[in-house]
Amino acid sequence: MSGTRVASISPDWGDAMNFRPFTSESYTQDDRPEAWRDVLGTVGLQPASAGTSYDGHATALHRSAPGIALTRIAAGSQTVAPLPQGADGLPIAVLPIDDGVILRHGGSHRIVPVGHLLLLPRCGDCSVVFQRDMRAIVLSVTPDALHGRIPGKLRFGEARVVAPGGLADIFSRMLDATARTLEMLGDVEWATVAQAMADLLLTIAHQLADTAPDGRHTASQAAILHRICQAIERRLEDPDLAPAAVAQAEGISERYLQKLFEGVGDNFTHYVRERRLQRAWADLSNPAQAHRSISEIAYRYGFADSAHFSRTFRHRFGLPPREFRQQEAERAAPASMPAGQRGWPQDALAQLRVHQPAATAKRAALVSRTDAADDADHVAPTHHHIAVEASRVHWGYFSRTLSPQAEIGSGDTITIETLTQHASDDPDRMISGDSGAESVFGWTGARKNVDRRGAGPMDASVFGRGAGEGFGVHICTGPIAIRDAQPGDVLEVRILDIVPRPSRNPQFEGRVFGSSVAAWWGYHYNEFLAGPKPREVVTIYEILAGTDRDDDAAPHARALYSYRWEPQTDPFGVVHATYDYPGVPVAPGSVKRRHAVLDGIRIPLRPHFGVIAVAPREVDLVDSVPPSYFGGNLDNWRLGKGSTVYLPVSVPGALLSVGDPHAVQGDGELSGTAIECSMTGTFQVILHKKGSHTGQPYADLSYPLIETETDWVLTGFSHPNYLAEFGAQGQSEVYATSSLDLAMKDAFRKMRRFLMSVKGLSEDEAIALMSAAVDFGVTQVVDGNWGVHAILSKRLFD
Amino acid sequence: MKHFNLPVSPATVHWGYFSKKVQPAVTLRSGDRATIETLTHHANDDYERMIANDPGAESVFHWTREHKAVARRGSGPTEGPFIRGSGEGIGVHLLTGPVAIENAEPGDVLEVRILDIRPRPSCSACHAGRCFGSNAAANWGFHYHDLIEEPKPREVITIFELDTSGEPFARAVYNYVWTPQTDPDGIVHATIDYPGVRVDHGTIKKRENILTGVKVPARLHFGTMGLAPSEADFVSSIPPSYTGGNIDDWRIGKGARMYYPVAVPGAFFSVGDPHAAQGDSELGGTAIETSLTGDFEFILHKKNDLGGTSLEGLTHPMLETEQAWSVYGFTYPNYLAELGANAQTEIASHSSLDRAMRDAFRKLRRFLMTVHRLSEDEAISLMSVGADFGVTQVVDANWGVHGTIRKNVFRCD
Repeated sequence: MSGTRVASISPDWGDAMNFRPFTSESYTQDDRPEAWRDVLGTVGLQPASAGTSYDGHATALHRSAPGIALTRIAAGSQTVAPLPQGADGLPIAVLPIDDGVILRHGGSHRIVPVGHLLLLPRCGDCSVVFQRDMRAIVLSVTPDALHGRIPGKLRFGEARVVAPGGLADIFSRMLDATARTLEMLGDVEWATVAQAMADLLLTIAHQLADTAPDGRHTASQAAILHRICQAIERRLEDPDLAPAAVAQAEGISERYLQKLFEGVGDNFTHYVRERRLQRAWADLSNPAQAHRSISEIAYRYGFADSAHFSRTFRHRFGLPPREFRQQEAERAAPASMPAGQRGWPQDALAQLRVHQPAATAKRAALVSRTDAADDADHVAPTHHHIAVEASRVHWGYFSRTLSPQAEIGSGDTITIETLTQHASDDPDRMISGDSGAESVFGWTGARKNVDRRGAGPMDASVFGRGAGEGFGVHICTGPIAIRDAQPGDVLEVRILDIVPRPSRNPQFEGRVFGSSVAAWWGYHYNEFLAGPKPREVVTIYEILAGTDRDDDAAPHARALYSYRWEPQTDPFGVVHATYDYPGVPVAPGSVKRRHAVLDGIRIPLRPHFGVIAVAPREVDLVDSVPPSYFGGNLDNWRLGKGSTVYLPVSVPGALLSVGDPHAVQGDGELSGTAIECSMTGTFQVILHKKGSHTGQPYADLSYPLIETETDWVLTGFSHPNYLAEFGAQGQSEVYATSSLDLAMKDAFRKMRRFLMSVKGLSEDEAIALMSAAVDFGVTQVVDGNWGVHAILSKRLFD
Repeated sequence: MKHFNLPVSPATVHWGYFSKKVQPAVTLRSGDRATIETLTHHANDDYERMIANDPGAESVFHWTREHKAVARRGSGPTEGPFIRGSGEGIGVHLLTGPVAIENAEPGDVLEVRILDIRPRPSCSACHAGRCFGSNAAANWGFHYHDLIEEPKPREVITIFELDTSGEPFARAVYNYVWTPQTDPDGIVHATIDYPGVRVDHGTIKKRENILTGVKVPARLHFGTMGLAPSEADFVSSIPPSYTGGNIDDWRIGKGARMYYPVAVPGAFFSVGDPHAAQGDSELGGTAIETSLTGDFEFILHKKNDLGGTSLEGLTHPMLETEQAWSVYGFTYPNYLAELGANAQTEIASHSSLDRAMRDAFRKLRRFLMTVHRLSEDEAISLMSVGADFGVTQVVDANWGVHGTIRKNVFRCD
């Protein structure tokens, strides 16, 4: 070894300190506004009005060099303004991503589409309104970065909007590319890139400062035509859109209107049809619109008759809409869907947040309470029971728009029957004779009792797997509304009891079975040792109660047989070459059962529910696979009998759902599933109203918190709130970017916050204690949003 | 069966590295036992409590301008001028040994049973008989670049006392923020970058009444135990690897049996880095570092006898406790071989749990298939429903994930 620099025990981080990740998860609710103000301040911004600093979920990646600061921000809706710093210096560059913004300047408003670049002067009264979420890249360059060069007399009194193109385009792309690789750039690389960005910004600022602001155009014909085209664009959904109406609205004659079109070699009817087809084409090729059926899209652009639309579309583009959409999905797939990625295709889901409630999820009045409780606020706790049947489950998704199966009060108990979505792996043992299961799984050529399975489109026009596309797989019983629950409250769900659901098939009467699938989304799937590669394997287990004569025989599971998945044809005729859609009944003759598997092996039980969720606030239909702040597919076996989970309420009524019952699972859930076994749980539900949380362990809760008899278990995820963090891309992106390293970071931050805010420790005490006494473990590496949990023993505080 | 005693002294320790070149401190045979003293390399964080009047500790930590009892600390250069000191602190753990095993050859497996572990009481007049440890939230900690309170960044030492009167537990005594410390050779250590530098308590500000009412349950164990690797003569003690080393799993305590593949003739076992308690992940960079003494038994399993036993095909460290088997996955299972000449410094910039998880999965699959004769499909199903994966540590450059399978899974009527 040469005697040169070494970097083993204390890698020289001095220079790398210019990189800083920020997440609101590190801070208590009270500290967030100040912390966020600091984040904005590093790039020369501030909340637009004093005292309104944002306090919701936010993440930011920041890196700086002398005089240069770049930050990529993902936060909620807010308005920001430049920090007044005198007239000198370069304007602040703001590049909105995902969504446009509104630029306010004095009294005027201007809509800035996504992809346009904003340059904000460091003085003056402009502000930027992020109406949905604040998702932007911000670059701040101060004279320090120019190394004594004179920036020239920049007269930059007004905010400017720069459309993509030319140098601005290069600059924007550079901002974007740099922001994406901020963490990976070496110090020298970063210094070079930062300087280049500063130079580009200087050049652009000069160009703009030299140019006068857009002059007022005269009211030329082109301008009128442009206005008319915009009017048409706004009314494309109107099947009766006529030239007369448009002309009248714009204050010109119909004849003049037609003349304007003739002037550019077109005519009104052709133009409108072309625009409609183009827009439909764009929607069909956009995975973000994948939740809409083809007829919905056709209707949206004024085609009331979908057969007519189909013909016209084919005439124009050479392919019927359905084939076109599938072709586009397949084209997108290889590049963007690494093997093992579940859920929505990459780049999918833009604007999911604005999409209309699905047809099956109509908001409806609350169903009547299951018990005849009176309306008084303080009624004695009552017991409720939700039996499982087709109308009482939602399959593969969570939704704030589902109508509740029951409304219960705080303190009430409720028994909830749940079914495993894997019962169809051996219908004889797990469905036959069980009227509840038969109702939910009921599926013939003519009728499918629960049609939507997953958050995908009902017409299966993305992959053709089936309604909902299996973007989410769990059969969830519920939702159950909690009386008076409001966003900001905390719902405590106590698991009082869990009992397995025995087979009702006379042949297996009273025995309990489960299934475990080593599936294509498993952690092992890309690296089989021996052929055939890859393969999916289903193992059917029997769940056995202990016997008294053998004191070792606590309740346990033993394998009965296994089989390799063979292409299954569902009752609608769709062939499932892989396990890509839940509840497809496996015909016994179609697979080869291998007995004597896992011979002599007995797995002690850990009965728990994989899924306990309240409805998320961000979007209407949320894939049930990735867990997040609202709970969901936590897949932590510690959620068993006697334990409690605290969930932050996001929508009125909370809308609690339970499913994905597991007889036993290991930390990691390596193959993709546990021993999936239908079970019935009894829960007590307690609502903690906002404002009553002070000093409680669930104070300031922004994630699912598990309490067992002995421990606090905090749930860390790769992306603690992936819906907010990735915005429109969330439901796809979360599958692509999961990592245990990120989940570990999140678990660390949550535990630090818990120790500081709930246990009153200083940061130094919290870190010492975490090192000496907190155990971090792998929850799962198969649910899109990977999990690491942190376990804090209650004994520490006795 | 013979019983040996291995007290600590400059002659029986090597500091900060594993090496096949170090003269063995003792040579014994398979089946023999040894009582081995170990010292924490953090004892100088509070000299008074952890070194003063302890002849063994004083002899090892002795360092004046004229004489440094153990000069080399780390696998780095031993010729000056130094940035930090001889060995450059590339490797930090005070290791007792090596213990050579007669007849051990590459390809064999050495089983090390921990029969007992006892804390090493203070000898200082004021604290005699009481046991202390130090926890450093250090610059290599997982938290270091993600601090929320000022000043940023900072290193913090917390001194703990271990109470063994009943069910043993540790409680914090005081803490302080690290200040630049000047060693006897005049090198200033602005951060914790070289082991065994005595902290001048005149330069620090003690904060008492910390972690009040908090009792950390004791988990006495050795953070670093392992054999000399064959790849290099001097190997940093920080990254764990295929011959063990700084695994930092608190389950390696009393009653545990560790198995290590032998890489060099004589095996060359060393032990150190004693811990009073540690959580899975060792988040801040260290455990409660406390000098301990252990009773060990050594059993050599010859290469040709491994077939058909739990050790068949073992190429990595493995733990057996009363309840379970654990295999250790690392970012790089053998970083010395994988990362080439600069492996010992390179490894720090590749740390990742994702790779460690991948490694743990592969090792456990191999164990189930080789030892328990399961098919690959059976092994994968069993791992999903019956094995637990946990974070061993995220602070030792070569990060660790352990995969554990309970023994009662296999006990069937």
